[in-house]
Amino acid sequence: MPAFLNIFKKKVSINLPKDPAILLSIIVIWFFLLLFVLFPLSKIFILTFEKSGHFTLTNVLEILGKRNHLQAFWNSLLLATLVGLSGTVLGFFFAFTSVRSNLSKAWSKFIDGTIILPLISPPFTTAIAMIFSFGRRGLITYNLLGINTFNVYGLHSVLFAETITFFPIAYLTLKGVLSGIDPTVEDMAFSLGSSRGRVFKTITLPLAIPGLANSFLLLFAASLADFATPLILAGSRFPLLPTEAFLQITGLFDIRGGAVLSFILLVPAFSVFVLQRYWVSRKYYVTITGKAGAQTQIKSITSRTGKVFLTVCILISILILYFYVLLFYASIVKAFGANYQITLKHYIVVFTEGLKAIKDTLFIATIGMLLGGVYGVVVGYLVSKKTFISRSAMEIVSMINYSLPGTIVGIAYLVAFNNPPIMITGTAIIIIACYVFRYGATGIRTTVAILQQIDPSIEEASFSLGANAITTFKRITIPLILPGLFSGLGVVFIRSMTAISATIFLISINWTLITVRILDKMTELELGVAAAFSTLVVVIVFIVIIFINLFLRLFRGPGAIDMSNILGG
Amino acid sequence: MISIKKSFIVLFMTLIFSLVLVWFVGEMNIPGQAAEEVNAYSIWPENWARPMFEEFEKATGIHVNFIRFSSGEALARVIAEKSNPQVDVLFGGPVETHSAGIAEGVFEVYKPVTYNELESRFKDADGYWVGIADDPLVFMSNAGFLKEKNLNPPASWDDLLDPAYKDMIQMADARTSGTAVTRIFTILQVFDRDEAKAFEYMKKLRANVQVYTKSGGGGTIPVGLGQAGAGIFFIVDALKTQQEGYDVVVSFPKEGIGTSVEAIALLKGAKNPELGKKLIDWASSPAMQNLFAEYQINFIPAHPDVEIEPSLAAVIEGANIFPIDSDWAGENRKRIVDEWIEKVLP
Repeated sequence: MPAFLNIFKKKVSINLPKDPAILLSIIVIWFFLLLFVLFPLSKIFILTFEKSGHFTLTNVLEILGKRNHLQAFWNSLLLATLVGLSGTVLGFFFAFTSVRSNLSKAWSKFIDGTIILPLISPPFTTAIAMIFSFGRRGLITYNLLGINTFNVYGLHSVLFAETITFFPIAYLTLKGVLSGIDPTVEDMAFSLGSSRGRVFKTITLPLAIPGLANSFLLLFAASLADFATPLILAGSRFPLLPTEAFLQITGLFDIRGGAVLSFILLVPAFSVFVLQRYWVSRKYYVTITGKAGAQTQIKSITSRTGKVFLTVCILISILILYFYVLLFYASIVKAFGANYQITLKHYIVVFTEGLKAIKDTLFIATIGMLLGGVYGVVVGYLVSKKTFISRSAMEIVSMINYSLPGTIVGIAYLVAFNNPPIMITGTAIIIIACYVFRYGATGIRTTVAILQQIDPSIEEASFSLGANAITTFKRITIPLILPGLFSGLGVVFIRSMTAISATIFLISINWTLITVRILDKMTELELGVAAAFSTLVVVIVFIVIIFINLFLRLFRGPGAIDMSNILGG
Repeated sequence: MISIKKSFIVLFMTLIFSLVLVWFVGEMNIPGQAAEEVNAYSIWPENWARPMFEEFEKATGIHVNFIRFSSGEALARVIAEKSNPQVDVLFGGPVETHSAGIAEGVFEVYKPVTYNELESRFKDADGYWVGIADDPLVFMSNAGFLKEKNLNPPASWDDLLDPAYKDMIQMADARTSGTAVTRIFTILQVFDRDEAKAFEYMKKLRANVQVYTKSGGGGTIPVGLGQAGAGIFFIVDALKTQQEGYDVVVSFPKEGIGTSVEAIALLKGAKNPELGKKLIDWASSPAMQNLFAEYQINFIPAHPDVEIEPSLAAVIEGANIFPIDSDWAGENRKRIVDEWIEKVLP
């Protein structure tokens, strides 16, 4: 038969996997996705657009009618844009220095180590440190510079704090992008007589543009969703959406209002998600060879400029370190700002009164980590290795809770699960579910990335030798994606330890979290205890990261992905 | 290949990990299993609620599980949980909170044993709540700041409008704090419920406000440290700051300042109503209120048989303190707070 007639042979059929294990997994995963992702979101939709039984826009208009809320909307967009810009620039600066200026191993490790700190910290750390440093009796403004009138609350402080907190994300993204640019391309330009500035302008920068755009979007989204820092630093004259949504619910017992506000937040957040997925990722420019070639002499920065850049980077890293040292110091003095006697009493409070929160948080983080890790691997495997109907839908839906600001997810869960048919507010399950379906998505992405690098013929060989799907999965796939599993576990654990924006709505008399206790203590002005809790979280998370890195090094397989890259995404 | 050493490390870490996990699960106090337990949301800060609850457990053997929320948050929670109450008692907090809750139908009527002994101001006519303490608002200023600006401690509401206080006042945010709501209703009372004039005053005052804090006592330490010059707080928070050694001065405006009853109420649909009632009985009686002095909790006791601690009595002597009409406040809380957010906050 002529070959071209083959197209008529293809029938459009529903693509169902034949293996019952796979089919079952898909059904189970969809069940959970529907329950824990789509159902809560639909409740927010309904609350926003429904009144007395029919569709209406009055809820939205009523909320937007309030001057404070409209202001909050514009402020959030403004802040997010500024943070996106400043964070990307700073991150690019760091990345460029790190990749292009031949840093010694020691400096490289120092910068990488410090950069990680803001990513793994509990919320409020930068905010607390800033109040201690720049408040009216702050260490830097009052004690050092004698300035009495600096107002630490407002846009400038939030911008500064968020830039410091989020620019590591830009750094990690851009570092990857810049290292992926083959230096031989730049060398070619040099050999053709280009000046350094010209090479930067015409070669390096254009190749980095998708990375810059991606960074900007990541930072924009992070700032948009940031609830903790503005709560402390924004002050009453600079309202922001996540904080307004929170105050609407917790202060004014207006759940509908909070839902509407968080829905408004959804609009820019969703645009970012769409832009990232369908525009930036399509445009990653691949250099000619596609791989980093031999390490030729990189001449893009003179050694003098390199030293200057390095100094600036080190200064900024020291600033970051200073915040953490300050935090620790505040946790061991009696009353920062008044009484500098060294004391352990804050830690005693943490380990007596706060023990319940510590146990609860560790318990939830651990269970969440295990479930989240498994979820990430299973979904990642299904979505990248198996074709079935609704595959891309599953991929997108699984990313939804991760892409949305935590406030939205938290409110959605509160609204969805507080009434029949499913009432799980007040339990650990609701908090665990929130973490699993939010941060497990990172595990999915990592698994997908790793699996894309594994040659499918390995699995085919297994099948051809008679193994079924489960055996193959167990004995071939799992060992290969183990690094991904561990990083996924690590991320869920770390994010669970440090999250607050979603779960602040979900704590109850039975289950409380360290991050919420930190906020409580800050509100009650027991700043020493808040600092002690924060230090504890940083220490725990750091230890876990070290363990995970140890595991990763033990099991280094193909496509072993660096821990820091996971945190960045 | 994985060496012996490496597998050892793996095994060891897994062992530690499982031990830790087992310890957690073992230690977990699954609620309800212990001796009698009652659940409460406390609007009182932990530092005061905790000792009171511990004394309650000593006296009755009933353990109190609680979380602390500021009054706005507590009310929000209780209303959100209406169909499935997570706690039995709402403990403490300015009575406007409880009044607002009555309208939402979250409370159960319960008149404790002491009900008839209490003044009418300290109980709800229908029995939805009873008072456990009285808490006047005060002005609190930083002594160093006053000296620097050559000011006397503020003795009038108008004193706070002085440009010397620009950006130096910290007060509570009405969206989350009962202190703020009491303050606003006080100001309304001072202006004889003329809302136009009252809001006019508040707008002028706003120019001097550095920040509105989430909780009522949120501004006390900044004032204590000199980060802010003055603020309006409940007497409990102000005197606590003073007792901790911060250099602050308490004063009262001559036009009068309001006091708010701290109340306690039983939740409708509570899971442990009998135990909740016992807590309410104990809290509204001298049994708890005699402990205020001992724990340096500067509330004025509600029960007539309890004496005010002498140093506290000295502070309020001669001050013009008037009670807030809690029913009127409860009915209008949402409307007034909304107006404050719209007109004063920005």
